[in-house]
Amino acid sequence: MAESAPRPVAFRGGGFQPSPRRWAPWLAFAAILGLWQAASAAGMLPSLFMPSPVEIGRALGSLAASGDLGRHLGASLYRIGLGWTLGAAAGLAVGLAMGLWSMARAVGIPVVSALFPIPKIALLPLFILWFGIGEPSKVATIALGTFFPTVVSAFGAVDNVPRNLIRMAQSFGLPVAEIVRKVVLPGALPGVLSGFRISASIALILVVAAEMIGAEFGVGAYILLTGNLMQIDRLLAGVVVLSLLGLAIGAILGRVEAWLLRWR
Amino acid sequence: MLRIAVVAALLVSGAALAQTKTSIALLPLTSSAPVFVGVDRGHFKAEGLEVELKFMQSAAAVPTAIASGDADFGVTGLTGGFYNLAGKGAVRIVASQAREETGFRFNAFIVSNKAYAEGLTRVDQFKGRSIGLTTIGSTFHYVFGRLAEKQGWQLEQGQLRALQTVPAMLAAVKGGQVDVIQAPPPTGIAIDKAGEGKLIGWVADHVPWQLGALFTAPKTIAERRPLVERFVRAYQKAAAEYDANFQKGAPGKDADALLEIIAKHTKSIPEAVKAGLPYIDPMARLRVQDIYDQIAWNKANKLVDAAVDAKTVVDLSFVAGHLDLPR
Amino acid sequence: MDLRLSGIAHRYGDLTAIERVDLTVGSGETVVLIGPSGCGKSTLLGIAGGLLAPGAGRVETAGAAPAGCLNPLTYVFQDFALLPWRTVEGNVALALEHHPLTASERAERVDAALALTGLREFALVYPKQLSGGMRQRVGLARAVVVRPAILLLDEPLSALDAQTRELLMADLLAIWERERTTALYVTHNLAEAARLGDRVVVMSRRPGRIKDTLAIDLPRGARERPEHAAAMADLQARLWRLIEDEARVAEREVADG
Ligand SMILES: Nc1ncnc2c1ncn2[C@@H]1O[C@H](COP(=O)(O)OP(=O)(O)O)[C@@H](O)[C@H]1O
Ligand SMILES: [Mg+2]
Repeated sequence: MAESAPRPVAFRGGGFQPSPRRWAPWLAFAAILGLWQAASAAGMLPSLFMPSPVEIGRALGSLAASGDLGRHLGASLYRIGLGWTLGAAAGLAVGLAMGLWSMARAVGIPVVSALFPIPKIALLPLFILWFGIGEPSKVATIALGTFFPTVVSAFGAVDNVPRNLIRMAQSFGLPVAEIVRKVVLPGALPGVLSGFRISASIALILVVAAEMIGAEFGVGAYILLTGNLMQIDRLLAGVVVLSLLGLAIGAILGRVEAWLLRWR
Repeated sequence: MLRIAVVAALLVSGAALAQTKTSIALLPLTSSAPVFVGVDRGHFKAEGLEVELKFMQSAAAVPTAIASGDADFGVTGLTGGFYNLAGKGAVRIVASQAREETGFRFNAFIVSNKAYAEGLTRVDQFKGRSIGLTTIGSTFHYVFGRLAEKQGWQLEQGQLRALQTVPAMLAAVKGGQVDVIQAPPPTGIAIDKAGEGKLIGWVADHVPWQLGALFTAPKTIAERRPLVERFVRAYQKAAAEYDANFQKGAPGKDADALLEIIAKHTKSIPEAVKAGLPYIDPMARLRVQDIYDQIAWNKANKLVDAAVDAKTVVDLSFVAGHLDLPR
Repeated sequence: MDLRLSGIAHRYGDLTAIERVDLTVGSGETVVLIGPSGCGKSTLLGIAGGLLAPGAGRVETAGAAPAGCLNPLTYVFQDFALLPWRTVEGNVALALEHHPLTASERAERVDAALALTGLREFALVYPKQLSGGMRQRVGLARAVVVRPAILLLDEPLSALDAQTRELLMADLLAIWERERTTALYVTHNLAEAARLGDRVVVMSRRPGRIKDTLAIDLPRGARERPEHAAAMADLQARLWRLIEDEARVAEREVADG
């Protein structure tokens, strides 16, 4: 190579590093709503099928003003809360047992694999026969829907506890119960918590299905009712309530997770 | 002679060429019988129409299909959801479909064995009883509402159990989870026969009403009026043939052929169809005042928006001699 | 306390990891076990502390444990094996919590162990906030807090960089000087072996056997002095000659091991 003037080396690293942009989701959300409203105002969207954000907001406002919003939310939260608590608690117990004991695992894996994929909604007529059409069948739908994912995540979480930590505990002579309490359970906690996030979303999805069974109140019942009555603005208001509920539950779980896993 | 034959052949092929394609959204139920008869017995063809049947999954989907432009016409039961769509200018009624007519049997009141044993044996005892429905605003809901009005008791929100589907509703009455439902025929009779519940009365004997209608989009009426006229004419002919064969005391000469046709389209058997035929007005006339009453009841129960105007829901110009015109 | 391994053999399925090993570590003595990767060093150490059942042979200890010893055979692990959800203090206390000590006894012991390893000001910090060297100091603190009779160290410095390793070796020597603990120390690093061992046991490639044993006469505290540099270099060269061939062949074997 001939003698030449020094050339600067161009920067070619960087990128591929997600950094937080707190304002971005809000801006995107506002932009979508703005575009939507503009399209509605310009008559580009049929108001019959796609009411404008303002119309949906108005429907939401009158739902809140009538006092029914509280009643619907209360009924759904009760079902989600109870169903999810029962399903997640039972799922956690079974999943941990499967993670800890070979016998439970040998029995559990085929049973869970066989029963997990059964669509809970297809069982609704059966649930009516077993549990009636009162609260038990609704709670059971959610409990059953959240049970299996919790089993799978808890079992996987125990399985993923690093073996070297268990060996360490054994080498210091910790009794089995202490190892479970101080090593296995805290080690499984991250997996269990992310399983809770999934099962909470499933509980929200299933509340609509659960409230197909003769519910007078409930966000799901409201969505079904307004859908049947072709009141699309109210239907979408119900969907908005459900999404906000999802966001709220996600935020609460996020807080709990951040606190419990503050060591990470 | 030959010349006439040639001309006739030309006319026939010309007519075949001129066939207008159209479509109707509907459910595979006996109440859609005039449509099936019209298609299979050539009444639509005679009007130069080639009709595509578009079967829907639920009653709510039928007017939606008209509103979205997926079908030109629709026939189904009249519900709160239907009137809300009609009120927004998406659909308009042009002729009748099934009717609960005094002296004819269609939907039945079925009570659970448990409720029957407790003494629920008469149609005037539903006050405070749990009532199974498909949905709030359904035809079933309306019938119980009118029954309560007539008998002077209050239908409470708390006694209604919306179960979304007919199978769920049937399961609930068989299991005794609800005290009473309305069952479409022949299911109601079958439940009673099997001892899974008790049939204690017929809707038509207590709440005669305009159960269903034929409808289209206001836009279609405005822009393709001749199409609607031809369609309604063919539909009326089919209704007349249905009436002649099934509603004149003794079965008509083509009754068996019509049963075969209806059975084919409803994926049933002729015997079952025969046990579950609704009353169809021979000229597809509406009981217009009843439509107005339905809308008023739905509004009073906050199922239909107050802004809905009954006058814009029905177009009376396609069928001559509608019944019970509002004063 | 003595540690005696006699006739130890071990197989993983068809793979013979250790063929036959007899080894005694005398009270207060530090034996460094050195050998090529995959020759069965970790296996042998696991057997020595009762974490692994030997296929054949016996493991025994003899003699009295030091006063206040709660866990005679105590490990220090290569990957530290710290509980990430416990603070430094909590990790050290873990080794004591299941023993019947009063709260103040426990606190005193933890405090002494943290002081010995220079961790006092980090007591309330979580492991992820610490450097590798500091984490292994936590591992050491957790080991000394039970006043072990015999320390079993499996490549305790291998995950650390060279400078940190030097610092920790000095710390280890200081601790052993004070506690007079018996130690079996596994490494593949010749410099560590030469610095820390009273005796260096060289293992052959798999299946592992004891190939040779070298006693180092120089007192450990004196080995860094300039006048001994030549002797130390000579020692390392001898060790290298002993394991060079083994390492060469073993390195080619690892893929199918
Ligand atoms: N749990 C195990 N199952 C099967 N093989 C193993 C297991 N642990 C170790 N081995 C094999 O045994 C041999 C000795 O392993 P190890 O004692 O870890 O060697 P070192 O510590 O000297 O590197 C290696 O070939 C390794 O692959
Ligand atoms: Mg090793």
